[in-house]
Amino acid sequence: MKTTKNMKKTLLIGSVALLTLVTAACGNSNNANKGSADGEKVTLNMMHPWTSPNVDNEVYKARIAAFEKLHPEITIKQDGVAAAQYKTKLRTLAAANNLSDINVVWPGADLEPLVAGNLLMPIDSEMANWSSILSTEALAGFNQGGKQYAIPTKQTFVDIIYYNKEMFAKVGYDTFPETYDQFIDAIKKLKDSGITPISLGNKEQWPLQSSYLSAIQERFVGSDFLAKVMNKEAKFTDPEYVKALGVIEELSKLKAFNTDANNMDSVQGQDYFIQGKAAMHISSSTVDSRIRITNEEGNKFGIALFPSVTGGLGDAKKSSGVAQYGIAISSDLDEKQKAAALEFMKFFVNEDLYKELISKGVVVPAKVDVPADASEYLKEMIALTSNGTSPVFDSIIPTQVTSVMQNGLQAITVGRMTPEQLAKDVQAALDGMK
Amino acid sequence: MHTLKGTKYAIFFGLLPALIIYLGIAVVPIGMSAYYSFMNWDGIHPMTFTGFDNFTEIFKDSIFWLSVKNNMIILLTGVLGQIPLGLLLALLLNRSMKGAGFFRTIGFLPVVISSVMVSLIFGTVYNTEYGLLNSILGSVGLDSWQQNWLGDTKWSMFSISVAYIWQNCGFFMVIFLAALQNIPNEVNEAAELDGASGLNKVMRITIPMIRGTILIAVVFSISNSFRVFDLIQIMTGGGPAHATEVMTVYMYNNAFVNMRFGYGSAVSVLILIFSLIVVTIVNRLGKEKA
Repeated sequence: MKTTKNMKKTLLIGSVALLTLVTAACGNSNNANKGSADGEKVTLNMMHPWTSPNVDNEVYKARIAAFEKLHPEITIKQDGVAAAQYKTKLRTLAAANNLSDINVVWPGADLEPLVAGNLLMPIDSEMANWSSILSTEALAGFNQGGKQYAIPTKQTFVDIIYYNKEMFAKVGYDTFPETYDQFIDAIKKLKDSGITPISLGNKEQWPLQSSYLSAIQERFVGSDFLAKVMNKEAKFTDPEYVKALGVIEELSKLKAFNTDANNMDSVQGQDYFIQGKAAMHISSSTVDSRIRITNEEGNKFGIALFPSVTGGLGDAKKSSGVAQYGIAISSDLDEKQKAAALEFMKFFVNEDLYKELISKGVVVPAKVDVPADASEYLKEMIALTSNGTSPVFDSIIPTQVTSVMQNGLQAITVGRMTPEQLAKDVQAALDGMK
Repeated sequence: MHTLKGTKYAIFFGLLPALIIYLGIAVVPIGMSAYYSFMNWDGIHPMTFTGFDNFTEIFKDSIFWLSVKNNMIILLTGVLGQIPLGLLLALLLNRSMKGAGFFRTIGFLPVVISSVMVSLIFGTVYNTEYGLLNSILGSVGLDSWQQNWLGDTKWSMFSISVAYIWQNCGFFMVIFLAALQNIPNEVNEAAELDGASGLNKVMRITIPMIRGTILIAVVFSISNSFRVFDLIQIMTGGGPAHATEVMTVYMYNNAFVNMRFGYGSAVSVLILIFSLIVVTIVNRLGKEKA
């Protein structure tokens, strides 16, 4: 008796659950159909990586909201994906030929497969909207085969050293060390006085590659080295490059990083520095807003670039930078969606966006005047980064080779690999690419 | 006879939806993976047939063998950690004591929590700076025992194994509890009349009585160990420097991060073959003894 009752109950619950599932599924497809079929309303999907607490992310989201208010007939359905996973998801969707209608893309090596697969729509016919405020240089990363595929929102310099002035003063450095030897000396003194010299959050593995290696390689081998490697005119195993990788080994051996560097993510790494637990943090120009601009105690911190090295072939004044957050439209849209997407792009990336970003202290790739009342910190950042730009490692080197480099850099920090071995592995990965 | 004929069709039609779904999401993808595993394919450019190239490259890659080794560690922690601990908990809770229901729920709770939460919880426990484990060690004066649990390659696999045991031993506890309750009372009473008690009774009466269940639990545990992914991916991402990478993480990194879907498919085919081999061996061993 009892079992039959239970059975009935289970059956009932089961069928109700099934019914909800089926109706829910139907409901969804109905809505989706309405979106594009109905004459007036257009729904566009947009995937973006704007989930972290950076100020520019807030600006972007506010602009999407403003656009929807201005155009009630167009709905932007956002899919925010954490930055660390974003590129993986973008590539996977690209492989499945299932990109969102509007996408945020990275330049250079990351853009290449999307273009090769004809997944993005060239926007050359619309360039009149942007050509007056954006230089060809800023657009170059998103231009392939003579066609423009995306418009960048900001200029990110990836290798800014944020340092705690008080801590450096304590060990006798009133200004940031100019040369690598002084830099190492400062690290040793900081270490001796019980301060963690550098806070690093390398769990996601890109910081050592993007923020560290990009800067260090510029000092040792110069800006055109990576391009030469791609053209097979130079090799990662060249002694100068191995020396550059040796910097990571030297810093690890000096125990310059916090002990849990490989378990903390990049935001935790920033927090560690902001809370005064470390003397330096190396990261992008964007996090200046967290570290100084919106921080009441921001004046404790200074900014600098990686110091010069003896015998280096590069330029110690150059900062590694990349025009970022290219807004691109999928090639797989019908006429109505295409018109709506272009409308969105024209509104989203325009002079107002760049001005708004500048007012929040973010460096932009556009020729927009820096307002007189802009943050002093921003002016300092612009001054620091205006002496030439060198490439970021992963904007030139293909993803699968970059991943060997990132894993290897992490291996060096835990003493499981030597710079020579890593150089050999990375070169082999590049040579073995099909 | 007539009625049976009718039900046969009914059974067939009843099974049909489940069968179609199963074919669609399990059998067909396995076939597709096998096909892709002979290709060089980044998902965007056209595929090219490369024969066994992917497999030879995998076998030559020392990182793959490291991930196999880590899988074996996970497998052994599963079989030698989760199952004995699950059995112990089941034996403790299989008696009429105050709050037995409460403790059973507590024991089963980790199984219900999603792996993401388990990873985040243990990530916090293992944190070097403010983690629970190091704080406890510090507060009882064992500072020298404090470790960088997840970041030090000497300890990272061990730390993950502990989290893995914690996550799953409740599942085996419940399976064993059900089996223990199915042991007929006469057997227990007869054993007690003959003077068996405590450990003696457990070893000679209880465990032989639930032998079948233990074997199933071992097979479960092994197939689980080949599937472990989210726990590690979130806690360490396979790092530092591949030290905690298992085969599934290796597959994910190659297929989805490096965009080598052919290579990734080849790895997943190998995972399937490896787990089939191990499960078959265990089944054979179990049968011979019976």
